[in-house]
Amino acid sequence: MRIPVGWLREYVRVDATTAEIAQALSISTAEVNGIERVGVDGELGLFRVGHVLEAEKHPDADRLQLTSVDVGEDRPYSIVCGAWNFGAGAKVAVALPGATLPNGLTLERRKLRGQISEGMILAEDELDLGTDHSGIIVLEDSLEPGTPLADVLPLVDEVLDVEATGNRADLYAVYGIAREVAALFGGELLPMPGTEPPGDGAEPVGIGIDDPEGCLRFIGRTFRDVAIGESPLWLKARLRHAGVRSISNVVDVTNYVMLALGSPLHAYDLDLLRGGLVARRAREGEKVRTLDGEERTLSAEDLVIADAERAVGLAGIMGGEETEVSAETKNVLLEAANFEPIGILRSSERHALRTEGSNRWEKGVDPYVAGTAATYASQLIVELSGARWTGAEDVQAAMPKPATIRLRPDRASELIGLEVPEEEQTDILAPVGFDRLKSGYRVPTWRARDVTREVDLIEEVARFKLPEVPFTLPRRDAMFGRLTRAQRLRRVVEDALVGAGYAEVYNPTFVAEGDLRLPEPLSSEAAALRTDLHASLLEPARRNADAGADDVALFEVARVYRGRGAGELPEEHWHVAGIAEGGFAEAKWAVEQIYSALGLEPAYERTSEPFLHPGKAARTADGWLGELHPAVMEDTWGAFELDLDALADAAPEVVGFDPVSPYPELRQDLAFVVAEDVPAAELLDAIREAAGELLRELAVFDEYRGEQIGEGKRSLAFRLAFGSPEGTLTDEDVAPIRASIVDALATRFDAVLRA
Amino acid sequence: MDIVAAVMDPKGLEKEALAAAGEASSLAALNEVRIRYLGRSSALKLALRNVRDRDTGMTLNSVRETVESALDRREKELARAELEERLATERVDVTLPAQLLGPPKLRPRGTLHPSTLVRRDVEDIFLGLGYEIVDGREVETTRYNFDALGFPDWHPARSPRASLFLDDETILRTETSPAQIHKMEERRPPIYMVSIGRVYRRDTIDATHFPIFHQFEGLAIDKGITLADLKGTLLHVMRELYGPEREVRFRTHYFPFTEPSMEPDVSCFNCGGAGCPICKHSGWIEMGGSGMVDPYLYEFVGWGPEEYSGFAFGMGIERTAQLRYGISGIRPFWDNDLRFLRQFR
Repeated sequence: MRIPVGWLREYVRVDATTAEIAQALSISTAEVNGIERVGVDGELGLFRVGHVLEAEKHPDADRLQLTSVDVGEDRPYSIVCGAWNFGAGAKVAVALPGATLPNGLTLERRKLRGQISEGMILAEDELDLGTDHSGIIVLEDSLEPGTPLADVLPLVDEVLDVEATGNRADLYAVYGIAREVAALFGGELLPMPGTEPPGDGAEPVGIGIDDPEGCLRFIGRTFRDVAIGESPLWLKARLRHAGVRSISNVVDVTNYVMLALGSPLHAYDLDLLRGGLVARRAREGEKVRTLDGEERTLSAEDLVIADAERAVGLAGIMGGEETEVSAETKNVLLEAANFEPIGILRSSERHALRTEGSNRWEKGVDPYVAGTAATYASQLIVELSGARWTGAEDVQAAMPKPATIRLRPDRASELIGLEVPEEEQTDILAPVGFDRLKSGYRVPTWRARDVTREVDLIEEVARFKLPEVPFTLPRRDAMFGRLTRAQRLRRVVEDALVGAGYAEVYNPTFVAEGDLRLPEPLSSEAAALRTDLHASLLEPARRNADAGADDVALFEVARVYRGRGAGELPEEHWHVAGIAEGGFAEAKWAVEQIYSALGLEPAYERTSEPFLHPGKAARTADGWLGELHPAVMEDTWGAFELDLDALADAAPEVVGFDPVSPYPELRQDLAFVVAEDVPAAELLDAIREAAGELLRELAVFDEYRGEQIGEGKRSLAFRLAFGSPEGTLTDEDVAPIRASIVDALATRFDAVLRA
Repeated sequence: MDIVAAVMDPKGLEKEALAAAGEASSLAALNEVRIRYLGRSSALKLALRNVRDRDTGMTLNSVRETVESALDRREKELARAELEERLATERVDVTLPAQLLGPPKLRPRGTLHPSTLVRRDVEDIFLGLGYEIVDGREVETTRYNFDALGFPDWHPARSPRASLFLDDETILRTETSPAQIHKMEERRPPIYMVSIGRVYRRDTIDATHFPIFHQFEGLAIDKGITLADLKGTLLHVMRELYGPEREVRFRTHYFPFTEPSMEPDVSCFNCGGAGCPICKHSGWIEMGGSGMVDPYLYEFVGWGPEEYSGFAFGMGIERTAQLRYGISGIRPFWDNDLRFLRQFR
């Protein structure tokens, strides 16, 4: 909310500067996003009340006036002016040469169509007091020429941009901020503004509450012989600086009092109402055209203000167009009410209509302040429009009684971690409205919603002591703090892939299709939760390759989601997926790096997936790897996706090792010619089985095809190492093992030893 | 079929051509079919060139279109089949080591995403303080995401306009705090934990908004924890993240699950507090939210309201990365552009 400081200082007497106020509010009350200076920037003494001594048409310009103005100097000033809404004798607002206007223009003595002009007679928009430029400001006759204009008009002000939190409806009012400022600086808070105007208020109004849950209080007041017109400049300026548009005196009063006290008001054209007003639930399908011109179809959950025949406004949110106050209005009904917050919030959401009013009601406005608001608005309506106050009714449903809460002073000090003596706590709480009683502190009605427990009172104390609270650390008597196994292994996998040249990417959780759909998708491309990661990698891989990146290799570690049926939350699994330029070998290399980093040796089996090359696709117990099908990605790409949770479960918790033998190992290479369709892994298994316990190492180190091998066959070379803890092995020791290997492979795979 | 036949029986011609397309079993054969029925000297083309009568012309043109699209369709089928046939011959032994299959490229070292770098730093700082790291679920019930955390009915986050619901009671977590409730239900204090991970808001994507971001939220519950402990802990964490000269101040605020609630600010590491664009000329940078655990949470998990006390705080990983590395906006975190990512070595 924008808080003009001049207005604020009308309610609180403090010496603090605006900057000090902003700083203190930010720490203890609500964040102040900035201080804006509004109005005249520069030498204020050059703005004066002027007395027009002579005014006549400019000799050489039909649309200009040539005036002679007394500005309190020893001679009259000659000023050329474009407005005609004044003549000799008028008191006007003058800016002298050297003055800088709010729009940045600095005036100079200069000639206008051959006549000297020493300054400017001002219109309200030129002083940033309003938007009107139809004529110049005409001031009261009683003013002395030369009077500083700043004494008469709010020429300059500062505006605090206060961002209050949603639990503090009381801070959406200038007076509420003033109360905080008084507490922060020990200043004097003046009573809330407003005194009842003269009038007997005896005329019946006809106010009713049909829904006491939705409407706690409904005050109606009538005014007759209202002269609708423009608001005075001071009021226009206040509203303008607070960011509210000036409409007419009566409507401006309702807005002004809302800004001042925080309780929104509404004015109706009394003659357009048929019978009195009642706050009731709307009938299903009932219609009302709101002030913004929209016809709104209501539901039974909407609260409306209705006359005898129809809804005349969406309660607390926006009034109706048919009964709005206009230039023709003669008699007015003023509504000051109190509405229940949740209902207003829901209605405002349902109709996608947020207003200054709904923004306050939905936070919970103090029902007691409605009375003060009605009084203050009545005073201003009578003063500004010359109306007679004729009727008043105040209908109340169950008004909440102020609660009293016990506060143990020690408990407050204990939780804050700072000794705050009891008397000081009382001194902190009193200025913000918490009166000390025997049984505890009485919660002021404007805080009834957010202060309901002792801990809330402790917060009230703490917020005024924040800068003094020391910096300490918890005293621990139990210590823990290490990554879980899954978290540690996740880092291991990430690091392995970084070592293999992969760059980590982050892709959104959302995809176009999936079994866990968002009922209200973010977009057609973000409508469901993903069930795999690799599909999200295709687009960034392609885009990076198109952008000319070399050796594109990307990976992601994230969760995938699978539905488990109604009533159960979906399964969430951590996966790792990668994509790299190059073929099957790239995917295999990355997967080998992952497994080896985790101390695992997986079994690879041929597999098929629609998105993979049919001859270059494999699976392990934890996922798949392969070359992407050319129909999925142009050029040759390797890809893989593994279930990280499964990997973490499979990874050995303890590293196993064999003692190092003092005897050297005996190495032998064996090459076999075997049919193409026999996988190397099967041969390795058979060799391992046949070799027995002396085998220390085994690996394929060469694959060869050629004419001498024969069509449909290949040669695979294996490196074997044998060792024994009991002594050095010789060729003779190993010969029988070698024979049984050769025999086994020949029997099982028709393999022929080559060398 | 000659021109006369084409003109006399266009439907017969169409039927014949479609049958021939269906029978073609290779791309080469299909090409012959195309030449025969649609080629320069095909009966159809000749007829089209010579016909003067409008109706016949339209009929013949529609035949031409039907045949053309059938041929195109068949061509795609055959191309796919031939591709599959070729791929079937390109078999590798998937059990061979990558070194024998490729060998794979020797690539320069890769990189971790900047968010991961920050995440690990945050984890390590809290591990050093003796905190557990908890990942937590991303799909949560509204009970754990809102009710348990004391979100009032009116809180805007409860609206589908602000949050991403899967159904009335299931939501993509809007903060990582539900993990804290789960931990509290799992065991009694002392609890010192940080939950880290993805959280979700219904935000329209622009330079500074994305519907997903990452949070880290701390929770400490023990006997006799104070607001002063919260201040001290965050001072330590902020100095670890942003440098030993940093100061921390707290501003009162409102959050549903803490009371008192505060927002921590860190003195600007760029200007040291003098004011600059990074701190919007205030000398302070907003860091997130914090406060003392609301007793409501203790009651929710069945503990007495004053058996323990504790504090909680939450901050953004991306925001931390933005501040540490000087990254502006949110898009670089999700664009996955190697020209950006490869700088984080």
